[in-house]
Amino acid sequence: MLADTWHLFNKYMRITMRMPMWTLFTLIQPLIWLLIFGQLFKDFVQLGDEDYMAFMVPGILVMTVLFGSSWSGVSLLREITAGTVDKMLVSPVSRIAIVLSRVLHSSAQVIAQAFIMLLVAWILGATLNMSPLYLLMAMVIVLLLGIGFAALSNGFAIALQREEPLVMIGNLMTLPLIFFSSALVPEQFMPDWIQLISAVNPISYAVDAIRAVLSTTPDMAIFGKGLVVLTIFAGASLAWAVTAFNALRD
Amino acid sequence: MTNLAIQIKGLTKIYPPDNRAVDTLDLEIKAGEIMALLGPNGAGKSTTIRAASTLCGFDEGKVVVAGFDVDTHSLEVRQAIGVVAQQTGIDYFLTGRENMVLQGHLYRMKRSDINSRIEELARYFELDSSIDNLVSTYSGGMRRKLDIACALIHRPEILFLDEPTLGLDIKNRKILWKHIDKLNKEFGLTILLTTHYLEEADNLSHQVAIINNGQVQVVDTPDALKNSIHGDSITVSFDDVGKNEQAFFHYAQQQSYIKGSTWEDNKLHLYVENGGANVAALMAIATENQAQITNLSLSRPTLDDVFLKYTGTSILETKEEEGDEWWKQWAGKGGNTGKWKSQWGAGDSAEDGEEQSWKNSDWLKESEDGKNIGTQKREEAQWQQDSWSGQQQGANKNDGSNTTDEQGSQQWDPSQQGNWQNNEWNKNKDGGEK
Repeated sequence: MLADTWHLFNKYMRITMRMPMWTLFTLIQPLIWLLIFGQLFKDFVQLGDEDYMAFMVPGILVMTVLFGSSWSGVSLLREITAGTVDKMLVSPVSRIAIVLSRVLHSSAQVIAQAFIMLLVAWILGATLNMSPLYLLMAMVIVLLLGIGFAALSNGFAIALQREEPLVMIGNLMTLPLIFFSSALVPEQFMPDWIQLISAVNPISYAVDAIRAVLSTTPDMAIFGKGLVVLTIFAGASLAWAVTAFNALRD
Repeated sequence: MTNLAIQIKGLTKIYPPDNRAVDTLDLEIKAGEIMALLGPNGAGKSTTIRAASTLCGFDEGKVVVAGFDVDTHSLEVRQAIGVVAQQTGIDYFLTGRENMVLQGHLYRMKRSDINSRIEELARYFELDSSIDNLVSTYSGGMRRKLDIACALIHRPEILFLDEPTLGLDIKNRKILWKHIDKLNKEFGLTILLTTHYLEEADNLSHQVAIINNGQVQVVDTPDALKNSIHGDSITVSFDDVGKNEQAFFHYAQQQSYIKGSTWEDNKLHLYVENGGANVAALMAIATENQAQITNLSLSRPTLDDVFLKYTGTSILETKEEEGDEWWKQWAGKGGNTGKWKSQWGAGDSAEDGEEQSWKNSDWLKESEDGKNIGTQKREEAQWQQDSWSGQQQGANKNDGSNTTDEQGSQQWDPSQQGNWQNNEWNKNKDGGEK
């Protein structure tokens, strides 16, 4: 299964490397948020000594992951349409590897995008903890969140079987999930009912964990909690996607 | 492996709510044989191939492929077969070589074996010079050849080809026929192909199974099937079937030279002994009964006549329809609107270089010698009955000369009959048999 996953992952990476612009296009929206909203709100939001740009960057990173990974299901549908999936299924390749390779490819792509966003934020002057160890920890969270949402996108693709509702669901999910999290606004500023939703929103845990390690005063407890929640989220989403894929064949 | 490469018994596949795509279908294919499943779109051809190739489950029946039950030994079946689906399934942003390497890896082949197999297959399918180019630069015919090469990388015993030439122009179709024929003759590959092209079934296959409404109607060699239609085939078309036309039919079928008849809407198919000689007599009956004939054609029996005999409809009437709703088959449920359907267009035409190689190919030389004929086998002559019906038909546009359409049917006026009987078509008629 691992060898199958590696060969298929390699294929997707090769195709992505041949179309680098696509990876960059999905960065446009998070970049606009970073540039415009960061500048717009920095004087309104009072965060004590903390810089609003530094506060916002983890939220924007998570947004990048969401925008990037929600396309994974669309490309699965295109592969089904093109007959590529049939070509794999008629071979002895592991079915788990087909889903896993797609999800890992999508996650690798969002990690690259997250690095570009961090670089832009650093150029814009955000005060972030850029030590390699903490950056690596932040990227682990990005990876887990990427796996979770890419798996959900693939699972929905199989359940819905059509591109239009999948894109609609992706768009519908993305923004509310971000607003119902601590991505853009500290939790204490939220109304109670949003705080409740935020408490069960995996995005909140991802944002908090990334913020905890990119802060100039890292907090390992918050990071640890995020790591556990996101590992469970990624595992459950992946299991659902694989089950949906296998059920479809029977 | 037993002598039977594929054994299908009572195969039934039901799509919800109650669409029996395949209904208690029985089929046996001997090792080393090419069998064509000939049928219109929606007949159940693709579903049969998908079930036999482990791509979809089924509700009833037993399918044994290469000696393994597809239900219980799907992995062994997958190792023994190669599948070329209607959609090429190759990645356009990879090179031909990269596609083949990946395919080899999916079959757990060693890299050195993959490399030597790629060289072998690229040479065989005349893709050597383009194997390192991106597939997006390939023509439709090249993509199809690469697709077949990918399916053969692991040296399967059995090859499934689902509408292998769908969307290809006639030149590329012939190139593929040549390759498929050679694969069977030189490597003993068992091939099960689906098609709705009569020429494809006629030229390529040892056995033809006519399939309609999910069931096999008849299986035999193409020649035996055609010989089962006694005499020549005369098709008489009417604008309307009224009293006069019914009277014509009544008197015509009383003639001793009429061996059979089938109505297909406003067309009457008559199977006639010594057709050429009896056309005039039939026309006399039409004139006596004032039947308004708009068109009359005389041909030797084709697989379409066989198809008509067993199904009551002509396959030519249905062939321009859209293909099987394969995304439903893939999913086994849902997908009932047309978005994907519209994305699946026809293939491309050949590149200049490829066309040139076709012109120089052995296949064409064989055709010219009458040993291995494509469309030429279909000897059909059609009379434009301007004077009889009083309607001006398109025959005048031909300046009285014989012309050939893609189906190989011949349009000519009665004055050209002598030429027709002595021309190349007639000379080739027996040489084209398999």
